[in-house]
Amino acid sequence: MEDTGRMAAFMARIESGEKIEATDWMPEEYRNLLIKQIHMHGISEIMGAYPEKEWVPKAPTIRRKLALNAKVQDEIGHGQMLLRLAEDLSRPYGRGREELMDDVLDGRIKFHNVFHMEAPTWADAGVIGFLVDGGAIITQAMLLDSSYAPYARMLKRIVAEESFHMQHGEAVVLALAEGNQAQREMLQGAINRWWAPMMFFFGPTQMGKSAEAMMGYRIRTKTNEELRQKFINRYVPRIRALGMTIPDAELRLDPATQEWHYSQPDWELYNAMVRNNTGPRSQARLALRRQAHVDQRWVREAMNAAAQRIANQGSERQSAM
Amino acid sequence: MHESQTAEFPVFEVFVQKESLGFHINVGSLRAASPELALQLAREIFFRRETAYNVWVVPQDCIFSSPHDEAHLPVEGMDKRYRLPGGYDNATHWKRFKAKAMTIEEVAKDIRS
Repeated sequence: MEDTGRMAAFMARIESGEKIEATDWMPEEYRNLLIKQIHMHGISEIMGAYPEKEWVPKAPTIRRKLALNAKVQDEIGHGQMLLRLAEDLSRPYGRGREELMDDVLDGRIKFHNVFHMEAPTWADAGVIGFLVDGGAIITQAMLLDSSYAPYARMLKRIVAEESFHMQHGEAVVLALAEGNQAQREMLQGAINRWWAPMMFFFGPTQMGKSAEAMMGYRIRTKTNEELRQKFINRYVPRIRALGMTIPDAELRLDPATQEWHYSQPDWELYNAMVRNNTGPRSQARLALRRQAHVDQRWVREAMNAAAQRIANQGSERQSAM
Repeated sequence: MHESQTAEFPVFEVFVQKESLGFHINVGSLRAASPELALQLAREIFFRRETAYNVWVVPQDCIFSSPHDEAHLPVEGMDKRYRLPGGYDNATHWKRFKAKAMTIEEVAKDIRS
């Protein structure tokens, strides 16, 4: 059949390392997996701004306030760039920005578990930059090799900006680690809160059907477990160097396999949290998103109407001439 | 009568993407009767030797551009080092803990290897 031939040619392109463009023919499954991945990524960037935004007014110095604000701006910018890609892919389904954003509020799209959690202290703001951005950088570095060219291109820009997030997070953590007893305890408390959510962040070792299919299409190129191992391997020595401990009695490196053993995070708890938005801060943050998206919809509509009126006046003037 | 029919061709701005992971960059403009002919002419004018992954031609009157003044452009108005990785001197602090600073380039290389 014609479709079988097209499919074989498409897979041959992917396997030879060629990149796919938005205007190329693609199997529906590939399109749907891309939408699922990029939509979730874009929304997570936007929802990720909320826990950090809480600390902008409370940041300890003006420099920290500027830096944290810059980071919040970056996350929202990344969300906008990624949503544009998801919109281009969703065009055949007649779905645009408004619908993709409605999906968050109506619970049709999930966002990362870490953005459902509380950030009760300044150390949490630092540890989010240190560990959550650190984990996101590992995932995004893998996506630089994605078979979908618009995604890989956008990731180049995003990863370049994440470089500042990484250094900023480490700077906050280092300042606390060099501080007094209370500051060091605050840092340890934040590490204790964020470690298990970070183990969940990379997803189950036994990957779901979608994640497996994404590997087949080279939308992603590493398994959940490979990414988690890279994360543990990189961050355990750094946390320990600071004189901090990791809240996992099971954590050890197997000298034979060079693989890390770790306690399983509470999969049930976090899965339910992202599926039903039942985390400690899920509803409060969704309320802020609803305020921006729904309560201010009339502003977007008014702007469209105003632009339309100006355009009509222009064409009337032209036809009068 | 004849003169009014030989109106000027519209102007198209030409953008080239050199490789699949690159971004489109404006290289100049040309005149052509249609977008199809503009694409063909772009090859003649701009890419007689160079290769390209993709070429865009955009009608010039579709481009809405900023004036060249400070009020409209992002400028180095204030110290923005706090937005840049180089604005942080983490290496000396990590050293105090007998650990090394880390860069995103290093992480990306490790992940992609």
